[in-house]
Amino acid sequence: MALYHNAPMAHSQEPTAAPIEHRFNPYSDNGGSILAISGKDFSVIAGDTRQSEGYNIQTRYARKVWQLTDKAVLATNGFAADGNNFVKRVKQRLEWYEHAHHKPMGLKSIARMIQTMLYGKRFFPYYVYNILGGIEEDGSGAVYSFDPVGSYEREACRAAGAAQSLIQPFLDNQIYFKNQQPEPGSQPFIPGNLPLATVLSLVVDSFTSATERHIEVGDGMEIYIVMNKGRTTDDLLGEGKLQKGMQIEELGALGEGSGERTFLVRQALKRD
Amino acid sequence: MFLTRSEYDRGVNTFSPEGRLFQVEYAMEAIKLGSTTVGITTPEGVILAVEKRVPSPLLESSSIEKIMEIDSHIGTAMSGLTADARTMVEHARVTSQMHNFTYDEKIGVESCTQAVCDLALRFGESVEDDDALMSRPFGVALLIAGIDEKGPQLYHTDPSGTFVRYDAKAIGSGSDAAQQSLQDAFHKQMTLMEAHSLALKVLKQVMEEKLDENNVQLAQVTKSKGFEILGENELKAVIETLAA
Repeated sequence: MALYHNAPMAHSQEPTAAPIEHRFNPYSDNGGSILAISGKDFSVIAGDTRQSEGYNIQTRYARKVWQLTDKAVLATNGFAADGNNFVKRVKQRLEWYEHAHHKPMGLKSIARMIQTMLYGKRFFPYYVYNILGGIEEDGSGAVYSFDPVGSYEREACRAAGAAQSLIQPFLDNQIYFKNQQPEPGSQPFIPGNLPLATVLSLVVDSFTSATERHIEVGDGMEIYIVMNKGRTTDDLLGEGKLQKGMQIEELGALGEGSGERTFLVRQALKRD
Repeated sequence: MFLTRSEYDRGVNTFSPEGRLFQVEYAMEAIKLGSTTVGITTPEGVILAVEKRVPSPLLESSSIEKIMEIDSHIGTAMSGLTADARTMVEHARVTSQMHNFTYDEKIGVESCTQAVCDLALRFGESVEDDDALMSRPFGVALLIAGIDEKGPQLYHTDPSGTFVRYDAKAIGSGSDAAQQSLQDAFHKQMTLMEAHSLALKVLKQVMEEKLDENNVQLAQVTKSKGFEILGENELKAVIETLAA
């Protein structure tokens, strides 16, 4: 008898109730994708407008890209509630800064401030991937990308969000010329020097392709173009410069304005 | 004169019926007892000059510190209760570093001055027992010199927490005469060297002792090298130009 007393099967017949854990989960993933590409004297920041949760589309138009200043545009992706609130706080800080220092915050300063704001919530992070684009103090186009806790770097291009894994390799190849060889005897490739028209078609191709292959991407697309002061707009405005179905509007200067110009291009994406 | 004020000159945050804060006004008086301090703005940069009172030949004059660095592009010279200035300079330094950390850029000279002045009026009886408040106004005035994107700038702060920008300013015991001399000799296109010798010339006029490299201190803020206190040899060279 003693031999079988502790047999493994002895208790297995009794019904067991595993404890069910009820835990508050404050985060959600609302899908969508964003990307930004910088040029010599312009920067393009784009995002789709679908907001979803699981298999449900919550809205076909939710903004993910925001004009912050005359030379800065911020794109947010991840948990939409956090993203909206984060943008609200960034805008508030920009206003305070202008009151205190009598000048608009420069792009690299916004980048650093976003880092400190994100890291300030290191132990209850904003579940948001940020991409900041605009014009640097020296007039060059710039893109800064962030992780949710504030690690950041300046790059020539970056994609983030649901379709990051689809878009980034495409940009690596087209913007950074990865896995491409210059023709023998010709100039080496320099990333970040592509003309605006090329960049725009890369953005459109990125989003139409992502829409085909990712269920969380689609509905519409918003492309912000920030141009350095004095730059020509001939390659953007005028007949036949934009692909058909695109609508363009110029966003007026915020505050005094220092010559930089921001344009918003909208285009429909497939809704299925 | 002072007897008539007995009711309102004790509380540091009590206005008199005429609308004055006597303790703040007395703090301003403390500055007039301090050694003379001069600042001059030029297109090349800003210079600061102070008189160091050396009451005894046994005193090591290099231990008197009346010009301090706030950041690599901002410096300050003081007159009055110089010990009070340490609190203000500390605050200015922390603010400058915090700005650099948060915004990846150097703090503006005016913003830095504003930060110092914000501190100047934080005195009185602490309401809650939050970290020990200053019990009285600071008895020191500062000349804050610096360069930022707006160019070379000189600011004057006083115990009332007011700050004003100047092309050239003198504070301290000999300030009345010194300010008049500055007004007569200053012009907008002054070179840095001209400013150095003007500052010393002005100090020389108001100093009781004979001016030498031990009882004055010179500093400058330039675009290329930022804030620097002039060494003994550089100081001697400027003094020599005065004699000639």
